[in-house]
Amino acid sequence: MANIAAQRIKREFKEVIKSEEVAKCAIKVELVSDSYTELKGEIAGPPDTPYEGGNFVLEIKVPETYPFNPPKVRFLTKIWHPNISSVTGAICLDILKDQWAAAMTLRTVLLSLQALLSAAEPDDPQDAVVAKQYKDAPDMFRLTARYWTAAYAGGPYSNPDFDSKIRRLTDMGIESHDARVALSSFNWDLERATEQLFS
Amino acid sequence: MMGFDVGRFQGNVDEELICPICSQVLEHPVQAPKCEHAFCLTCIMEWLSHQPTCPVDRIGISSSELQPVPRILKNLLARLVIACDYAGTGCQAMVKLESLQSHVQDCEHNPQKPVSCEQGCGLVIPKDNVKDHNCVKELRSLIQNQQQKFQEFQEEVVEQRLTINELKRELNYLKEFVRAVRSSHPTMRAIADQFEKDEVRRWASTLPKAKVSRWGAMISTPDEVLQSMIRRSLSESGCPPHIMEELMENCHETQWPAGLSSLQTRQRQRREYDSYVCRRIPGKQAVLALACDNQHMSEELMVEPGIVMIFALGIE
Repeated sequence: MANIAAQRIKREFKEVIKSEEVAKCAIKVELVSDSYTELKGEIAGPPDTPYEGGNFVLEIKVPETYPFNPPKVRFLTKIWHPNISSVTGAICLDILKDQWAAAMTLRTVLLSLQALLSAAEPDDPQDAVVAKQYKDAPDMFRLTARYWTAAYAGGPYSNPDFDSKIRRLTDMGIESHDARVALSSFNWDLERATEQLFS
Repeated sequence: MMGFDVGRFQGNVDEELICPICSQVLEHPVQAPKCEHAFCLTCIMEWLSHQPTCPVDRIGISSSELQPVPRILKNLLARLVIACDYAGTGCQAMVKLESLQSHVQDCEHNPQKPVSCEQGCGLVIPKDNVKDHNCVKELRSLIQNQQQKFQEFQEEVVEQRLTINELKRELNYLKEFVRAVRSSHPTMRAIADQFEKDEVRRWASTLPKAKVSRWGAMISTPDEVLQSMIRRSLSESGCPPHIMEELMENCHETQWPAGLSSLQTRQRQRREYDSYVCRRIPGKQAVLALACDNQHMSEELMVEPGIVMIFALGIE
């Protein structure tokens, strides 16, 4: 790894650890390899959003050319959000692409991602299905996102209605995650989800 | 590339002195024009090759707009105290950042420190080469290098000579051609004469005016060595070639007009001398009285295209 990248990451790692946000448990970062090329990030779901109460784990890969190119970041925790792929965790955020600037740091990236959870950009989606629901059925979107937060990120809110619909599908031999994806994609319409799963 | 490792400095380094790109202490700092954010030169150049914006606030900038940082920032950096580059190999020195470079060059722990060989050849070699240094071998390779260079120069000279000969032939051909054109048509002759006159004037105007303070120090019969020195100087000053030969002939009393041709006549005309408009022949104790500058002088004292007068001293 280029010297400059390693130096930067070492320093930024310390910066995150010492930051106020860590003190408030809002963000966290851990080393995955000794070489500082891969890290694990964590952000808390922001209050007053469907992600509140959840903890979202991120994979952070630092390129050889860092900080002249942005780090590669994706969600490891499954999440229901217009700008994050519900399948791969890939993120659509300008500062991780063409709007990256060399003075940005791991801390600012994590805070930006947290801000993205508070303010989605449905017109620049990474997941078209989620974005459509966000625009056409905002209430359904909120319930779904909150349900995913509970299922994958340790969120506190349960939804017995959704639970029972999933159980109906798992009873038919469907994996619970596949059932959740299908139902979420069809606004929890059991009939259409079933149709899609068995077609 | 990148700044100085923060860990090498004594005490804490202020955040303002840290490059936002490499997160090290600024090295050769420059700043963005409007927002005044400072970076190491190499860091910002590398970034600008990716994107033409300030890495902190993304205001558009180009490398040509980068500016030196304010003196106060330079001073603050210069005053920081840093460990020597060779701290790892035993140097204990802590020096001011401004004197780091000179310290490192002379540092006893610098394996590359230049020292001169004491076994005879006297060549300057990096300190870590002293052990394996062999005077004969080094000198031999030096000779070899120089022989090679010499050979290259010789080859170049041969090439140049060929080119010069070609050019000379071409020039002679052109001269002949011009001569033929000139004699074939009166208008052409007039144009060519005018052209030559203008050329002399243009050259004359580039030479400074000179004053002769001791006419008695005139050397009226210069020898060939002196003549060739003057000729060279005239040539270097851009003397038009068509008057060069005639001018040089007119540097000896045998070619001078009646009023100057012997000691007796010269003494008779003494009072007239200060009326000459003289121009300095650069670098020499010699002046040029050109006919075009001296139309006011009588025929007894002037000839075309002018007179070269060489002195032992006294030209201002």
